[in-house]
Amino acid sequence: MQQKKDTRKENIQKLLVRLELWFAPLLIIMPMSVSMFFLGDWYIRGFSQGSSMYDGELILGLLLLFVNFFFDVLFLRSIRMQKKKEC
Amino acid sequence: MLLSEMTTKDVFKNTKQRMSKYQDDFLEQLTAIEVDAHWFRRVFHTFAASFLFYYLLPDEEWMNAIKIVVPILIVFCMIVIEYRRLRGTLDHQRFFGLRSYEKKQPASYLYFGIAVVLLFLLFPQQIAIPCILCASFTDPIMGETRHYFGKTKAYAIGFIVSLFFFCITWYRADWWILLLVSVIGAAGALIGEAKKLRLIDDDFMIQILPAILLLVLWQGLRFFGIELLPPPLIHPL
Repeated sequence: MQQKKDTRKENIQKLLVRLELWFAPLLIIMPMSVSMFFLGDWYIRGFSQGSSMYDGELILGLLLLFVNFFFDVLFLRSIRMQKKKEC
Repeated sequence: MLLSEMTTKDVFKNTKQRMSKYQDDFLEQLTAIEVDAHWFRRVFHTFAASFLFYYLLPDEEWMNAIKIVVPILIVFCMIVIEYRRLRGTLDHQRFFGLRSYEKKQPASYLYFGIAVVLLFLLFPQQIAIPCILCASFTDPIMGETRHYFGKTKAYAIGFIVSLFFFCITWYRADWWILLLVSVIGAAGALIGEAKKLRLIDDDFMIQILPAILLLVLWQGLRFFGIELLPPPLIHPL
């Protein structure tokens, strides 16, 4: 029982030190959220009002979405591949 | 033991044991995950494009103060962290994805952060946005293409990609301004990325060099009564 507790403690400590695991979700979720926000803002203030003033936000939103998606897929694939190797 | 024979205490104990096992398994699985440093660095770059959210923040008095203070505070914290890392009070191993040459010099994320803050505070968004896009996207794209196609082709692709970023952010300008700004900006970004300096990281130069070139051009043409800047691309909420 004590050994089990020690292993758990050790695992938690290991995880706390590995900042990359804490950062990874942020690195993926934040750009996607920002791009969605740009697209939403373009739709609400621009498209639905018939104004072309917000078209720049549409361009930026799409750019952020596609480039980040492309790199995120490669990043996530690299994580999975290493997990397989580990097994 | 049959379910009807189990007391509440037994059920509780059983559930607790199972939960504990799940927790242990989950923790073990998490510790087994390995993140590839190469792709981590690439995603860190592309993530930085989300800082453009800054320009959506409302233009109100209290918010304008926050828009100045918070980025400076963040960079200040980064300087303190880097100072402690270089002094050895923070373990270098904790900083995942750093390159070996960054062991004894400030890491590139600090240069990146300083450049972004300078762009936010000192440059108009029409200049700052394409420069941040170049650092966020051109840099990793060039890094990958260099690996597959060699240096020369990577530079050509980097120039075209940067040109594209300047074109889409200045699309409302007159055609000759669009052309001039895109070529100068893309050339600046490319030189900033390609020219490796010992003291200043390329993540700083790729943003600041095109920004300074365009700032000089903007102010120079203004002197002759020509307004260079197109309307802003992002409108505050």
